[in-house]
Amino acid sequence: MTTLIVNGMEHPLDLADPRVTLLDALRDRLGLTGTKKGCDQGACGACTVIADGRRILSCLTLAAQCDGREITTIEGLESHPMQDAFMRHDAFQCGYCTSGQIMSAVALLGEDRAGSDDDIREFMSGNLCRCGAYSNIVAAVREVARHA
Amino acid sequence: MTTIQQQPRILGPGINRVDGPLKVTGQARYANDFSLPGMAYAAVVRSTIASGRITRIDTTAAEKSAGVMRVITHENADHLAAAPATFIKNPQAPLQDDVIRYHGQYIGVVVADTQQNATAAARLVEVEYELHEALLDPHDPRAERIKDPWGEDTAWGDVRTALKRAPVMIDQTYTTSENTNNPLGLFTTLAAWDGDTLTLHDSNQWPNMVQMVVATMFGVPEDAVRVLTPFVGGGFGAGLRCWSHIPLAVMAARHVGRPVKLELTRPEMFTGLGHRTASFNWIKLGATRDGRLTAIEHESLTTLSMEGDEYEPCSSVSCSAYASPNVTTRDQQVKLNIPWTNFMRAPGDSQGNFALESAIDELAWEVGLDPLEIRLLNYAEVDPKTGRPWSSNALRQCLEIGAQRFGWSRRNPEIRSMREGHELIGYGVAGVSFFWYQQPCSAKVIFRADGSAYVRSAVTDIGTGTYTIMAQLAARLLGLDVEQVEMQLGDSEMPAGAAAGGSGLTAAVGSAVHDACGRLVQKFVDLAATDPFSPLADVGIENVEVSEGRLYRKGDPTRGESLARILAVHGLDELAADGSSTPNSPDELGMTPAGARGARFVEVRVDEDLGRVRLARIVTVNDGGRILNEKLARSQILGGTVGGIGMALFEDTVTDMDTGRIANATFGDYLVPVNADMPDVHIEFVGEPDAFNPIGVKGVGEIGLVGVAAAVANAIFHATGKRIRSLPITMDMLMD
Ligand code: FES
Ligand code: FES
Repeated sequence: MTTLIVNGMEHPLDLADPRVTLLDALRDRLGLTGTKKGCDQGACGACTVIADGRRILSCLTLAAQCDGREITTIEGLESHPMQDAFMRHDAFQCGYCTSGQIMSAVALLGEDRAGSDDDIREFMSGNLCRCGAYSNIVAAVREVARHA
Repeated sequence: MTTIQQQPRILGPGINRVDGPLKVTGQARYANDFSLPGMAYAAVVRSTIASGRITRIDTTAAEKSAGVMRVITHENADHLAAAPATFIKNPQAPLQDDVIRYHGQYIGVVVADTQQNATAAARLVEVEYELHEALLDPHDPRAERIKDPWGEDTAWGDVRTALKRAPVMIDQTYTTSENTNNPLGLFTTLAAWDGDTLTLHDSNQWPNMVQMVVATMFGVPEDAVRVLTPFVGGGFGAGLRCWSHIPLAVMAARHVGRPVKLELTRPEMFTGLGHRTASFNWIKLGATRDGRLTAIEHESLTTLSMEGDEYEPCSSVSCSAYASPNVTTRDQQVKLNIPWTNFMRAPGDSQGNFALESAIDELAWEVGLDPLEIRLLNYAEVDPKTGRPWSSNALRQCLEIGAQRFGWSRRNPEIRSMREGHELIGYGVAGVSFFWYQQPCSAKVIFRADGSAYVRSAVTDIGTGTYTIMAQLAARLLGLDVEQVEMQLGDSEMPAGAAAGGSGLTAAVGSAVHDACGRLVQKFVDLAATDPFSPLADVGIENVEVSEGRLYRKGDPTRGESLARILAVHGLDELAADGSSTPNSPDELGMTPAGARGARFVEVRVDEDLGRVRLARIVTVNDGGRILNEKLARSQILGGTVGGIGMALFEDTVTDMDTGRIANATFGDYLVPVNADMPDVHIEFVGEPDAFNPIGVKGVGEIGLVGVAAAVANAIFHATGKRIRSLPITMDMLMD
C-alpha cells in the first residue's frame, strides 16, 4: 500500500502496477483531473504539481515514490491570488496548460525567483503554452509577486 | 431594436473570460478528463515503414499480455463505409487494408483494463512488411504533382512581357519547413455505445463534422451519434477533420462492448493529426526604378500525403496584397509518403506571406527605398484582382500607426549600422492581407422568466473566447447584463454549428446569434401586440429598444415592459428563437471580403559571433473589424505572434529521409517558443466595422501569426546583411 497525501487528504492506493506515474494516479485513480498530461515525457510542464513545497513533473514521478509526501494539485489551491491574476490578465486561452502554469507560478513565489520579468520568463520556461499566453502569464505572476 | 451597427467599434476594453473560473481551478473538463463506468483503455500500433504492405501481423503475445481484452488489426477490423468529405476530405477508415502509406500509420489498436497494460501490449504486436521505396523528397520526379488543385490559379495582365520590360527584377525562391500544430491537449476520444447510439467525448474544432463522419462510417443515423466537446486543449487547425483515431476508438468500443478511451501520445500527435505543409515559393517581381510594382509572379509547391487532401493556396496572397497591373499565381501539390498535411493556423497565407513580404523587402533594397515606403507606394486601394472595393481595409493605418509606435524613423537605413555591444540590431517590417472563410451556422437564443438567457450552438471554444464573446453579444442585443446570459456549446445536439476554423467562427456564429436575437425581440414585440394593456401594444420592431431587460418605445424608456413581465402576462416560462447565418456573396454586395489586415514591426538582436537571434520587440497592429472583446482579441493576436515566432525561428518537423519517420516527434526535440523567447509585444487594433457581415467582425484567430516570419527575416537582413530565404532561421545560417 502506498499512501498519497493529496491536498491534505490521505489516499491509500494499491499500486500493484509499479509503472503508474503520479500523474496517472492523480487523474485515473483519484479522479483529480485538474492536473494535465501534455507530453508524458517531462517536456511541457502541464503536469506540474507541488510536492513537499517544490514543483515537480508528476509524469516523471512514479506514484510509488510518493508514499507519505505532501502533494498539492490545482484542486488544492484555495482562491490563491495567482488564480485571480491569471483571469484578470487573460493568462490562458484553451486553459490546458493553466493548471501547470499556476502550480509552477505559485511555487516560483516560494523559490524567490520572480524578482524581474526576465527571471519570471526564465523560470516559467518549463511550462509550455501552445496558445501563446506567455506575456500575460508574466504579467499575472509579476503582479502577484509584487504584492506577495 | 438596438442594432449592432449602433455599437462602437470596440465594445469596451473586454471582460474576463467567462470560463476563466473553471480553467484556473482545474474544473474545465477536456475529453481525456472524462471517465465512464467499466471504461477500457486503448493504445494504437503504428507502422514503422513509410510505404509497403503488411505481410504478417502477429498479435498472439499482445493478446496474452496482462489485462488485454482485444487486439484489432486489418485482419479482424470491422468494414467501415467511406468517409465523407466535409469542407475537405477526411481520412478513410483505418485498418481496412494491408497497405502502408506513411510512417506512423495506424495498423492496430489494443484494448486493455488500464492504460499501462494497453500501452505495454501494443509494443508486443509483431509486424512484418514488404518494403516499398517511399517517395519522400518533394522534388522527386516520380512523385505525382497536382496542378491548380483548387482551381484558383489566377492571371491578369501580361506578366511575361511586364517582367521582360521591367527595369528592376527580383527572382527568388523562398521555402518554409513542415510544422506541427501540437495543441497542448492530447487529442482523445472516449467512445461509448448504448445499443445503436453512440456518445463521444472528443477533442475537435467542429462537433457536427465528427458526428457526420462517424455516423457515415459506422452506418448509423446522424442523430444516433452525439459528440461532446465542451473544452478542447487547443487545436490551431488540428481538430478540423475526423482523424483516424476517432473511428478506431469507436470500433474498439464496439468490439469490447464497453466504453473505450483512446488518448494519443505526444509522438502520435505528430503523425495522427496532420501538420503544416512544407512550401516552396518561386517569386518574380518586376518594378520601375522608383519601386512601383509592374508584375508579380508567384508559384508555389506544397506537400501532400498519398491519400490526403489539403487547401494551402500559398500564392493567393499575391493576388490581394499589392496593386500590380500584371499578376500570375499558380499552386501545385506533390504527393509523398508522409503523414497527412493539414490546416495549421493561417494555412497557405503564413507561408505565402513569408515569401511575398521577403521579396518586397528585397525589392526595397534593390531600388533604395525604405521598406515601409515601398509597401505604402504599392498599396492596393481596391481589390487588385476584381477592381472592387474592399469590405473594409485599414492596412495603411496598420503600417502607419505601427511605424509610429515602433519608432521606425529611428532606423538607420544602412545594413549592419545599428549595434549594441556584440549584438547587431535590425528593424524589419511586413504587411499582411489575410483571407478568411465563413461557413453557415445556426444558433438558438432562449429567454427565461427568471431573467436568464441562454445561447446555444454546436460550435467549440478552442481558447478563442467563443463562450465569452457570444454571451456578450447576446447580452448587448437583448439589453441584458452579460452575467444573465450563458453561452452553451460543444454538443452536436445543439443547433448545427460552424467549424472553429478559417478565422470565420466569430462572424458565422455571431451573425447567427444576431439573427436569433432579432427574431426573439420580434417575438416579444408580437406578444406585446396581443396585450391591449401593454404600453407596447401598437409598436413595430423598428420603434423599440431593449436595455436592462426592458423593451420600450424608442426614445421613451418609461413606456415599456420588462421581458420577464411580458412572459408572465402571457403565462410563459420562456421564449426562444432560432437564428442562422450564411456567408454573403461578394457579387451581390459588390465588394470583396477583405479579411483582417495587419502590420508587423520587429527588432532583432543578432549575436555577431554566434549567430544567435533574439527578438527584442514586436509591434503588431491589426484591423480586425469590430472587436467584441478587446482583452480576448489581444490574446488571439498574442498567441498568433508566438506561433509566428515559432515558425520564424524554431519549428521544423524533420523527416528522416531514409525511413520516412518523423525524427523529432517530441516536445524535447521539436522546438516551440517558451516564455524566455518572448520579446516585448505591443498589440493594437485599428479599422472600422466590416461591411461584409451583419456584426462587422473579421476573424483575428490566425492573422497574428502571419507576417511575423517575414518581418523577422527582413530585420535579420537589416542587422546582418544576410538574406535568409528559408524557415526556420537557425544559428548555423547566420554564422560566417
Ligand atoms: S505531461 Fe509532464 S511534462 Fe508534459
Ligand atoms: S492556454 Fe492553451 S496551452 Fe496554454
